[in-house]
This record gives sequence, structure tokens and C-alpha cells, in this order.
Amino acid sequence: MGSYRADEDYDYLFKVVLIGDSGVGKSNLLSRFTKNEFSQQSKSTIGVEFATRSIQVDDKVVKAQIWDTAGQERYRAITSAYYRGAVGALLVYDVTRNVTFENVDRWLKELRGHTDSNIVVMLVGNKADLRHLRAISTDKAKAFAEKEHTFFMETSALEALNVENAFTEVLTSIYHVVSKKALDIGDDPLALPKGQTINIGNKDDVSAVKNSGCCSG
Amino acid sequence: MRNSSNNRAEDRNKEVSSSSPATDSRFHQTLRNVQGLLKGRSFPGKILITQRSDPLDPSTLHSPNIDRRSPESDRDQSEQQDRSTEKDELQNRSSTNASSSVNNTKPSSTSSQSTSKEIPKSNVGARATDSARLMKFTKELSGSSVILEYLEGSIDTWSMADLSREKILNVEADSYWCLSKLLDGMQDHYTFAQPGIQRLVFKLKELVRRIDEPVLKHIEEQGLEFLQFAFRWFNCLLIREIPFSLVSRLWDTYLAEGDALADFLVYISASFLLTWSEKIRKLDFQEMVMFLQHLPTHNWTVVELEMVLSQAYMWHTMFNNSPSHLAG
Repeated sequence: MGSYRADEDYDYLFKVVLIGDSGVGKSNLLSRFTKNEFSQQSKSTIGVEFATRSIQVDDKVVKAQIWDTAGQERYRAITSAYYRGAVGALLVYDVTRNVTFENVDRWLKELRGHTDSNIVVMLVGNKADLRHLRAISTDKAKAFAEKEHTFFMETSALEALNVENAFTEVLTSIYHVVSKKALDIGDDPLALPKGQTINIGNKDDVSAVKNSGCCSG
Repeated sequence: MRNSSNNRAEDRNKEVSSSSPATDSRFHQTLRNVQGLLKGRSFPGKILITQRSDPLDPSTLHSPNIDRRSPESDRDQSEQQDRSTEKDELQNRSSTNASSSVNNTKPSSTSSQSTSKEIPKSNVGARATDSARLMKFTKELSGSSVILEYLEGSIDTWSMADLSREKILNVEADSYWCLSKLLDGMQDHYTFAQPGIQRLVFKLKELVRRIDEPVLKHIEEQGLEFLQFAFRWFNCLLIREIPFSLVSRLWDTYLAEGDALADFLVYISASFLLTWSEKIRKLDFQEMVMFLQHLPTHNWTVVELEMVLSQAYMWHTMFNNSPSHLAG
């Protein structure tokens, strides 16, 4: 799927945000995807952090600008400013901690309140490697994702399980939305950069959930 | 503006006061003051003001059954902390620590006045500013009877297990005191939406505009917001940005600043940021965010940190009493 590319040449630049409760593994998902690294003793994110990676989709280079936000409640006022302009989001919970899944609803509301309604959202159940500690079943999360029309995947940043898939899926989906939009609007070069009327409401979402239903879990 | 801030320093320097309002001469005057300071000849006015004129007698403060360190050993500590940053003296640091911890349990009748006599002795090079601040801090400490416990060797080898239960309780109480003292001056940094931090981020931007406009222009042109990197700096008082081993040196300055810390933090951050002024001007938005969030400080020693602090002190002297400089 995705391959590492030089930073300079890209056809599309997409802003993606990582949100979800504190300690669910957002920063490690990011470092796994952008640097193929995982840290057992990572410090909690303060404010926002940032990393990029480019992948190939069809014959185009798609560069992801990924904003990793702090999950702690006390930073909410600052981090919500970073939703602006995002065309994709990974909403992460921890499959071993019920409360992080219960809060998904709130995160989704906040996200939708701050972004364009056509944003591509993927619900991500991280820490899928902790099989004996699982508190949220795959079916339960999948049902929630279908109800909310989001993608869904279970991942493990530690085992590098599905991390690549999750990001690539989101980026590819944004790419399809944008290139479809580009066809719709013809050659008007001004229409695209504004990025306001991206239409992704063609209900491919559900099939995407099925396709990407994942891990052993 | 004019030279009100200069005058105070000059009074102490016994130098001829220049009344020229030109920024140039103001700058050179400040530079001379700082240079004088670095030679250990004088102390700037600001750090010696607001001092309790009549230090409380520690014996009236200490309840007899609580084991507290005497002012005399506080003084010992301030000397040690002065030395501790001189690399070549690290060796004898631990031996002095040992001797001072021997007498730290004995009540002493030495009055805390003796601390002020130490001022002329402790002006070692660039350490003079900080030793003066430290003196102020030490005085405060002697009044409030805070103790600092030591362990032998490097901080990396310290373990809680090496302390007695009583000492741990003392350390806990003292840590609490230090933390609440520190937070006194920055309470709205940690309330909802952290308005205090937002304010400092704004001040930082204005200060950088004043000191290094080309960098600010570049940052603005690239669409980088100061909040995107400086939020963490202020939220964590820069400790995320430097090696852990240097944190105690940084905190020496913080505690010495006392209530003025929030303001001084802006200057430290500006100095810190502009350490890489040239580099930053060559980076685009994404490179800048990533550079500023992972600054190359892993090989820093006390030398680099003290450069940042000295520069901050110099700018603070230049600008802080002249708010119109920062009006944008």
C-alpha cells in the first residue's frame, strides 16, 4: 500500500486529526504510521503535535498532515481550534477501557461541530493486542460505526496491526472524494482549494466497514 | 520608557547616567550594565527590591519538635547551588553536601542576616545574577523554613529508598511548599481554557516582533501560530524541551524569580526560540512545526541553557519596564 516518499513532491495535501480520550494511543498510532516507531513510555501530548507522511494512491502522491491532539479534558478548549480545515479524522478509543468508548459519542459531536459535514471519519479501536483485557467487542463498535456512518477498524500500534490500513483507508477515501469532486466541478481551478463542498455522502461507508472489518479480536 | 529602568541600575553602578532617549544608547547602556554584571561588579536593582527588611527570627518560627534546617545551612546550600553549575566543581559538590547534611539537624543561632554578607563572595562570573536571585530566594526560604534534602552522586542514581521516612515527609512538605509558591504567580495558567498561557503566548509573539522582526514575519507568512509550539513551552515551563538533567538548573531560576516568573518566562521563551533564529527562517510551515516541537537540545549542557537565561535576562532588563516597546 503506502510507501515512503520524499517530502517535497505531492499531488494532494490532506489535514487529518487524531482525537479521542487521553491514553488511548493516538500518539503511538501516529509515530507507528509516520516513523514506524512505538514508545512504551511516551509522555502525554500537551496541546497539539504534528507529523506528516506521503502515500501513493492510484498514480497520485497524497501527503497527510496529521495533527495529534491532547486527549485530556483540560486542553479541550485549545485543541478544538485544530479541527479547522481537517478533511479526515481518526477517532480513537481503547478496546480495554469502556469509558474511552463511551466518550466516543462526545468526541464525534465535537468533531462534527467544528468541521465540514463531509469529513471522513474512522472509528479506531486501539490496543487490540490486549486480547485478554478486551472490554469492547468488535460487534458493538462496528454497530456504532454503522449507525454513525463512520469507517471502523481495530488496530494495535504496538504490534503494527492495521495501523497502515487505517490511515491509508482514510486517506484513500478522502482522495476519492476529492477527485470525484474534481470531476464534478470540471476544470475550475478555484473551486477545489476552498474544499467546501466535498461530497462523500454516497453511502460507500457501510461497505467500507465490511471490507475493513479486521483483526482476530 | 526613557531611562527610568536604566537609572535604577545606574544608581547602583555609580556610573554616569545617560539621559539620551535614543534606543541605541539605551541598548548600549543596558549592554554595559549587563557586562558589568557579568564581571561581577554590580547587581541590577530589580532583584534586590521587595525584600523583607526584617527577616524573621527562625527560632520563633520553628516548633521545637520539628526538625528543620537552619538558615545557616540554607546559606551553605545556596553556595553549593552556585557551584553546582560549574562543571569542574561537581566533584567537591558531593563532599560538601555530605558535610552540610551532617549539621542540618542541629539548630543554629546564626541569624539569617548572615546570608546578605555572602553577596560579595558569590559573584562568580555570569553566576552573579543568579546568585543574587538565589540570595533573595534563600532569604525567603529561611523565613518559611523550607529544607532541601540531598543525596550523594548524580541525580540519575538517586532513589527514594535511600531516604528515611522522616526525610521523605520533609521532602514532601517542602515540595508542596515550592509548588504552591510557584503556582501562586500563575494561577490562571491552569484554569479552564488556560487564559494565563494564552496571554503569555500573545506576549511572546509581541516580544519576538520587537527583537527579531524578520523571524516573526517568516513565521506569520508561513501561517504558523505561536500557540502551536509555545503552548507546551508555557504549560510545562519548558521542561519538555530540554534534557531532564538540566531541569534543576532551570528551576533554580524559576524559584528565584518568584512572583515575577510568569513575565520572565516570556523572555526565556523568546531567548530559547531565537537561539534558532537563522534556522527557523529557512523552514516552511511543516518543517517549522516539527522542528519547534522537537528542538535539538539533547546534547545541551548547562552552558547552552545559561546562554538562553542570560540573553533572557538582558532582554528583560531592556524591555520589561518599557511596555510601550511591546505595544506592537
